[in-house]
Amino acid sequence: MIKKFIHQFASPKTYLFQVDRAYPYIFYASLFVYIGSLFWGLFLTSEDFVQGNSYRIIYLHVPASFISQSLYLAMAFASAIFLIWKVKLSAYLVKSIAPIGAVTTFIALVSGSIWGIPTWGTWWAWDARIISTLILFIMYLGLISLHDSFTDYEKADKFLAILVIVGSVNIPIIKMSVEWWSTLHQTASITVTEKPAIDASMLYPLFGSIIGFSGIVFCLVILSSKLQILLREKNKSWVKDYV
Amino acid sequence: MFNFAFDSIGEAFMMQSANGQYHGIYVWSVVFIVLTSLLVTFFIYKRKIRNIGKKIK
Amino acid sequence: MKLINFEFLKLRKKSRGWLGPILVFILIMTAFPLTVEILNKNLEQAFFSILWIATLLVMMLATEDIFLEDYNDGSLEQMAIKYDSLSGLVATKIFVYWVLIGIPISLIGALYGFGITRSSESALQILPILLITTYIFLNVFSFGNALSLTKGSILGTLITMPLVLPLLVVLGKVVIAINLGISFLGFLFLLLGILSIIILILPMIISFVIKAHLE
Repeated sequence: MIKKFIHQFASPKTYLFQVDRAYPYIFYASLFVYIGSLFWGLFLTSEDFVQGNSYRIIYLHVPASFISQSLYLAMAFASAIFLIWKVKLSAYLVKSIAPIGAVTTFIALVSGSIWGIPTWGTWWAWDARIISTLILFIMYLGLISLHDSFTDYEKADKFLAILVIVGSVNIPIIKMSVEWWSTLHQTASITVTEKPAIDASMLYPLFGSIIGFSGIVFCLVILSSKLQILLREKNKSWVKDYV
Repeated sequence: MFNFAFDSIGEAFMMQSANGQYHGIYVWSVVFIVLTSLLVTFFIYKRKIRNIGKKIK
Repeated sequence: MKLINFEFLKLRKKSRGWLGPILVFILIMTAFPLTVEILNKNLEQAFFSILWIATLLVMMLATEDIFLEDYNDGSLEQMAIKYDSLSGLVATKIFVYWVLIGIPISLIGALYGFGITRSSESALQILPILLITTYIFLNVFSFGNALSLTKGSILGTLITMPLVLPLLVVLGKVVIAINLGISFLGFLFLLLGILSIIILILPMIISFVIKAHLE
């Protein structure tokens, strides 16, 4: 039942057409939200008492680091679907998310280390969060190079999915172990279970920037998966019609 | 909630904090890096899709 | 049992396969004091981190062609058909590698520990930790080298090294416990727990990967 459902609605063709229709709406809406909340965060909120104006980097850093981890989760989810139900589309998705994840992790790393200069007095510390983000970055690059080194796409997809799943078991472990090791990073300002530790006037633009950035990254994933589909299915007749 | 934190563009660029430090350089370089890396990624994917579209045709 | 004997013989005949990693380990551990001035106390401080890193590297090098030669001459395919559980074969292979490479390296590492820290107590404490760690490393790196079977061990290391980093944190804590004279049994059981999970799961995943390679 589920298998039939997935196979029917997750064909690359329907995916491509649906996504093409939704793309402009998502893109412009999230661009509007992102730019708007960046403007709000950078100019309209008041200065932080402890960190001064440098705290404004939060509106760029937090969305990137949040997305970089969520993208890995999404990849793990897609690989599980691929390995269980052999859905081709989810293999394409895994492959296309990896470079986007690398980009967002890079953004998180760079913005975090620039933020560290005024607040911690150092641009790099062997600290829990930084190390686990760096490892995540290297894992993304490793995934990309694993897929690139096989010319046989079917094999490459399978190996990539296996590695993503094994890695996804390991990511919380890496995080926990490194945090157990040492930390300098402030704890998360927003968690699902607790009341946010920052003021509402700073919180709304932060939410806005997270949503907007997610939307933009989602658009990137759409573009990247479109590229994958065109690349892999270039011999199909509908692709020729589509282009 | 919606008061401007800075009086002029120059002030917003320098971002002097209460402790006297100028944080503008950090904030604006991060803004620059984030926006350029997003733009570059968009540009690369758009171009790749265009190229493969041409090839298929 | 026959399988163990067979694999054992195969690895023993190939001296670069088992003697090579041990010698490389000795070379690394000997090279490290050369970079520190003689009779320097710093030797002791850095010793354990060098030991862990050297073990990690050598285990990575040792597993480089664990499946490659069998794959190239086609015997891996035959084995996969002959025995119905490929994961059993994989587990046997890793076990044989551990017996011939992991155990000697653990003994030599403990010996170095005795030579540098001058306390037989810490050398004895380090031995079980090394035995467990080498087995875990062999399993994980076999997984990496199974994934990158024909593509070289750099790729295998790149993708599996992030997976063993948490273990290094635990090993660092063990060293602190040993240096302070605190009981490290908790860590020993933690490592044993990790090992038992890995022994159960990784051979299955590796056999899945190998089957995908053979298709």
